Amino acid sequence: MNLLTIPLRCARRKWPRFVLLTLVFALGATSMVALWHVSRVVGDSLERKLTAFGANILVAPKAETLAVSYGGVSLGNLLYEVRHLDEAATVAAIRSIALSANVAAVAPKLVGAATVGSEQVPVVGVRFDQEQTIKKYWRIKGLFPTRENEVVLGSTLAARLGLDFGSSFRLGGEEASVAGVLAPTGGDDDTVILADLGLAQRLFRLPGKVNFVEVSALCSGCPIEDIVAQIGGKLPGLEVKALRSVVEGRMASVHFVQHLTLAVALVILVSACAVVGFSMLSAVNERKAEIGLLRSLGYSRAGVFAIFCCEALLLGAAAGAIGALAGWGVGREVVLLLDAAGEVLPAFSLPEALAVSLGMALVAALAAAYPAAKAARIDPSAALVSL
Amino acid sequence: MLEARNIAKSYASAEGPAPVLHDVSLTLEQGEFLAVVGRSGSGKSTLLNILCTLLAPDQGQVLYAGRDVTRLPEAELAALRRRDFAVVFQMHHLLPYLTALENVLLPFMTGLAPAPRDAVERARRCLDRVGLAGKHRRLPGRLSGGEQQRVAIARALVKEAAILFADEPTGSLDPATGREIVGLLQDLNADGLSVVMVTHDLGYASCAHRVLRMENGAPACAA
Repeated sequence: MNLLTIPLRCARRKWPRFVLLTLVFALGATSMVALWHVSRVVGDSLERKLTAFGANILVAPKAETLAVSYGGVSLGNLLYEVRHLDEAATVAAIRSIALSANVAAVAPKLVGAATVGSEQVPVVGVRFDQEQTIKKYWRIKGLFPTRENEVVLGSTLAARLGLDFGSSFRLGGEEASVAGVLAPTGGDDDTVILADLGLAQRLFRLPGKVNFVEVSALCSGCPIEDIVAQIGGKLPGLEVKALRSVVEGRMASVHFVQHLTLAVALVILVSACAVVGFSMLSAVNERKAEIGLLRSLGYSRAGVFAIFCCEALLLGAAAGAIGALAGWGVGREVVLLLDAAGEVLPAFSLPEALAVSLGMALVAALAAAYPAAKAARIDPSAALVSL
Repeated sequence: MLEARNIAKSYASAEGPAPVLHDVSLTLEQGEFLAVVGRSGSGKSTLLNILCTLLAPDQGQVLYAGRDVTRLPEAELAALRRRDFAVVFQMHHLLPYLTALENVLLPFMTGLAPAPRDAVERARRCLDRVGLAGKHRRLPGRLSGGEQQRVAIARALVKEAAILFADEPTGSLDPATGREIVGLLQDLNADGLSVVMVTHDLGYASCAHRVLRMENGAPACAA
């Protein structure tokens, strides 16, 4: 028997009130946890969808430039020592970082020019499976290549060369056929030949080499800087940079969803706190004589404060435990209902549930702090005489 | 042992401060039984609350063991009430959700440390002494008014305080039970406990060694 016996026995004796308050608070906790699960899954799902609109990290050799000027006239920058990357080693290094689960696609590229008829045309060697992951907006007339000597033409270039899907033509020294023609994208892809990376490496006599690698990373769970730093650590000597505008644009959408749900959850939580606070305030008024008695028995103000805070802690911990479990269940059902998860459903985690329980206990204690402080300030003689 | 010097107290009212006590002085010797009597509004309960430190006087001093307890900081006051002073009220003020034994042990449940084993044993003995053997586990709602007051007295006894303050301890009891309670207080006093009892019943007051009659906030005469 100690100080905690008082709030525990009180909760047991006044169990209907305790249960009702716990349920109200648990409702707030459930809403918060459910919204958190939903926002996390929806955020991830949204980001995966946004990944289709381009890469957000670029890995390239360090380009050394030299500013050239003479007689006060700038002659621009001189680019020298252009190096190539080893495709297999670079891709393997990127795939081996600690945050590899956040890497959605690794798309190496080799860019050069080749002769078609009498014309020099730009050729971009790509791995089509990775490229399609980061460019889901591509629409194609025909098919994506399944063989190495098949290519895809940008719409503008195809029109200029008079080629369509199914056409065959000489590309440099190689025989190639057009597997498909891209619908206009409004970007660089409209004016190039997209060839399999193996074909491009043969054309440019650079076996196993690429110019740069685009990486599409999912940033909702961690900052992009962490992924960039880890890739940089695996590939020293290369330039690894985040494409800020892409990251920020993409994350803005994800964060909007998360902030919206957080705001709704906070409103619910504040309402639940208000209910607990008002209820504790009314309990303090009801139990004035009890407080006066405890003070007359030698309980300090801190002791009285602790009794009411312990009641709230108990209530908050119980509500948090219920809320963690119910919130997970509700979140799961909502995600299923919205069909937002794809393959990933919210998972129940005991440490998270304990953290929610602890957090809600502290929030409840905070909500009860004012009533508890009011209880501690009650004049014992007035409290005893008042009844 | 306990001395009040020139105590004055007023309560705020719509018409300004309403004096309740003026210039009250008294002493309580070790082992003495002092009864404070008077009509309703004479200031006897206010005087008792000041003596047991539940209320601070506007003027004057209350000396206990040579120290003015009216100026002590809050923490020391709490320690004094916990250790040396015990109070029994007219309304027995038991916590309805604690058993009789737990109510008696309340003075030892002020912190996170569990009540000491010897305190639990003493609490059982105190309940037995006030005639509640076999009712230790009962909630107050299942005890009669007299039994509840006995629990309150056991609670005052358990900490082996130096002074027991009783504010109308028989006020809510029938005459027979009231006599039993006063008899119990007399027994405790006979064992060496100093007692200050406020009552409006002169019959009960006659059991005390000394009677202080209060009239209009001041002692009328001592008997």
